[in-house]
Amino acid sequence: MKRFLKIAAIAIVAVGLLALGGSYGASYYYTSQLGQGCAGCHEMGGYVSAVHGSLHQKVGCMECHEASMGTKLRHMRVHFLGTPPETIRLRDKDVLAMASNCRKCHQHEYANWHAGPHSATYSQIFADSTHNSKRRMMEDCFRCHGMHFDGSVRDLVQPQNLQGPWHLIRSDLADQPTMPCQTCHQVHKEGTPQAKPATRISVAGTAGNDSLALFDRREKIHFAAASLAIPHLLEGARPVKMNQDARQAICYQCHAPRGSEAGSVAAANHWGPQVGSGDDRTPIGVHEGLSCVSCHFGHNENARASCKTCHPQMSHCGLDVEKMDTTYASASSQHNIHWVKCADCHQHGVPKMKAVAPAKAQVVPTTPGMDG
Amino acid sequence: MQSKNKAVALTRRQFVAAGVLGGAALAVGCKSGNQGNWDFLSDGQARTLAAICDQIVPADEFPSASQAGVLTYIDRQLFRHYRRHRDVYREGLEHANELSRKRFAKDLAEATPAQQLEIVSALEKEERPFFDLVRRHTMEGYYGSPRHGGNRDAVSWRMLGLDEPPVRGRAQYDMRKGATS
Ligand code: HEC
Ligand code: HEC
Ligand code: HEC
Ligand code: HEC
Ligand code: HEC
Ligand code: HEC
Ligand code: HEC
Ligand code: HEC
Repeated sequence: MKRFLKIAAIAIVAVGLLALGGSYGASYYYTSQLGQGCAGCHEMGGYVSAVHGSLHQKVGCMECHEASMGTKLRHMRVHFLGTPPETIRLRDKDVLAMASNCRKCHQHEYANWHAGPHSATYSQIFADSTHNSKRRMMEDCFRCHGMHFDGSVRDLVQPQNLQGPWHLIRSDLADQPTMPCQTCHQVHKEGTPQAKPATRISVAGTAGNDSLALFDRREKIHFAAASLAIPHLLEGARPVKMNQDARQAICYQCHAPRGSEAGSVAAANHWGPQVGSGDDRTPIGVHEGLSCVSCHFGHNENARASCKTCHPQMSHCGLDVEKMDTTYASASSQHNIHWVKCADCHQHGVPKMKAVAPAKAQVVPTTPGMDG
Repeated sequence: MQSKNKAVALTRRQFVAAGVLGGAALAVGCKSGNQGNWDFLSDGQARTLAAICDQIVPADEFPSASQAGVLTYIDRQLFRHYRRHRDVYREGLEHANELSRKRFAKDLAEATPAQQLEIVSALEKEERPFFDLVRRHTMEGYYGSPRHGGNRDAVSWRMLGLDEPPVRGRAQYDMRKGATS
């Protein structure tokens, strides 16, 4: 017994000394050049090489990650005394703390994101009485909102009924974003350089921004935008021309169409998912075939400035498209900018093109070629 | 090992016991891990294993085993649930390289695809337990859940025509009207 106590005492002192020395030593490790220190722990090896293979290769780990004394001790405990989890994951607070670190270097993107809809907070999404009195809370919400939250929906908001009043259990999250940068961007690519293919994995879609990826709540990993599906939608029985821009695949995960309602014409005819169902905004009509990102560029997702990139060059009516009768000019217009067709405005037939209208021929700007 | 000097007065048994309970576990834990990119495999072993796996699932219009992260899968499992298979892997990979060096005077990873195929076919005959294990683990990694490191971006599921994650809108039912859909 005495011998056991002696051994135990030595063990305790040894652990204490190591923890103390270790945590100061760790400070050196964590802040050393470009993560070579972090790489000293084999658990981190893959993450270090993943960063080094990315555009962030010149950015040190601690520019993005916080590592308080508590974190360091936690890492050491796992490193020394346990088996590290199969995949190392950030906790919800780590993810949120990090988003403000991204701001240090990406002020422009951060400011736009903050001003736009995708910075919606936990209280805006989960304590919205209009929404909650109609739709019951469920785990599925986390697919599109608050995907980084650790826990079930009951751990986030109460009561779980349609009467309310609703309040967040995790009040620390009230003003925190439900869709931080990490929702759509992956900084560490999965795997290691050796495992990285020489060619792009995806065979579908155009090559996009390498980091663009959706965080999937269920698998708790990112799926590269280029690997996500772009749905095949129909307008009635007609297949719609879908733009294959890989970037917009990410939009479709949340702004998603739905299967046809039971009893609808589409369901009766087995037409398949319809354009404009659910939260879908796939363009048809004059803008059919365009990508969301052709108009909604920039992190505020504001499309106001986009018209000028294609108009007036692509116009038919000889009018300023921004002033025409669409939801762009007035939210109460009957002509949704995503779906408006020539025939919606020209109900008695689309007029002949300017080029063949002699009276208007003079106002058509002449091209250099025509001038000779 | 830091605690060694303090422990001289103890018997060997006591020292080992203290070590296991305390600091020594730390030092050992670190050494057995490796400084490369993998949890269990050395970088060299990983290259050899990649060559074998890629003969089992080569790249066509879809990625090969190693491109789809099968190595990450196997490596993670050898560090955890498949510890018991470590020796088979260690010896099997060593043997595969020996075979390649003997026949082609180069490591398996450096051999041409045709040569690699020849070696892997030889393994299938001569090293059946190792080959079967690698084949099984390759399939698990390629077709299993992406969360375990393989099947990157759910590529094999897409190959089978499944969209993962699926495009699926939120429930739009209005509870006041009674749940219909
Ligand atoms: C540019 C910012 C940035 C840098 C630099 C960075 N990380 Fe990360 N790290 C992230 C983000 C964001 C995540 C969340 C998952 C993701 O996006 O891949 C993350 C996640 C992680 C994880 C958890 C894995 C996971 O998927 O959640 C580990 C471990 C990690 N980083 C280690 C490191 C190490 C070690 C370094 C230094 C070599 C480093 N990181 C540098 C941004 C960064
Ligand atoms: C210390 C500065 C720094 C921090 C902090 C930082 N970045 Fe970056 N980021 C960079 C630099 C430098 C580039 C490369 C820019 C270039 O080459 O145009 C970059 C590029 C990017 C890109 C585009 C390139 C790509 O990989 O596809 C994205 C997206 C990005 N960062 C996201 C993030 C996110 C998300 C965070 C926070 C987790 C973050 N960054 C934190 C400096 C930083
Ligand atoms: C398939 C993805 C998806 C799921 C699942 C989902 N939402 Fe949403 N949610 C969206 C999108 C997209 C919008 C923005 C719609 C728009 O403005 O066109 C939105 C908007 C909202 C809004 C803003 C007001 C509104 O209704 O437009 C609230 C609040 C909200 N969601 C809460 C929830 C809750 C709570 C759940 C779980 C019951 C949930 N959502 C499930 C995608 C989703
Ligand atoms: C809703 C999804 C979404 C969120 C959330 C998001 N981004 Fe992006 N981000 C995108 C898309 C889409 C692009 C690609 C734009 C392009 O290539 O045209 C992009 C591109 C970028 C780029 C590269 C810009 C360039 O010129 O190539 C940076 C940097 C970036 N994002 C940083 C951030 C930061 C920082 C945050 C958090 C404040 C953030 N993003 C949040 C969707 C998102
Ligand atoms: C992770 C889910 C998610 C992704 C991915 C996503 N969105 Fe959103 N988006 C939302 C939610 C939720 C809202 C509503 C926020 C609110 O109303 O508070 C929204 C709002 C918007 C709005 C403004 C809606 C309004 O009512 O004013 C636009 C425009 C938009 N998104 C475009 C895009 C585009 C373009 C993409 C792809 C680059 C994209 N979104 C990707 C979830 C998402
Ligand atoms: C031709 C340009 C254009 C394209 C392409 C486009 N949008 Fe829009 N979108 C707009 C404009 C402009 C608005 C501002 C409100 C309006 O005019 O209706 C808008 C508004 C929205 C809104 C806010 C709700 C609403 O309807 O007012 C959402 C959500 C949205 N867009 C999502 C998308 C998604 C997702 C895609 C791709 C599937 C997309 N948009 C493609 C121009 C476009
Ligand atoms: C990426 C290019 C692109 C962008 C951005 C774009 N449009 Fe268009 N738009 C077109 C094309 C192409 C047509 C002609 C379609 C056809 O010939 O069937 C068109 C046609 C129209 C028409 C029909 C009248 C006409 O003169 O042809 C209106 C109205 C219109 N656009 C409004 C807008 C508004 C408002 C915006 C800004 C929110 C916008 N468009 C942004 C490409 C674009
Ligand atoms: C938002 C409503 C709207 C949409 C959509 C629209 N137009 Fe027009 N268009 C007008 C108006 C208003 C005029 C001017 C009055 C008139 O001639 O009817 C016009 C005029 C025209 C003219 C005559 C131009 C001239 O110089 O006399 C042509 C040709 C034309 N449109 C073709 C088209 C085509 C082709 C489309 C679809 C690609 C289209 N329009 C979509 C509203 C629209």
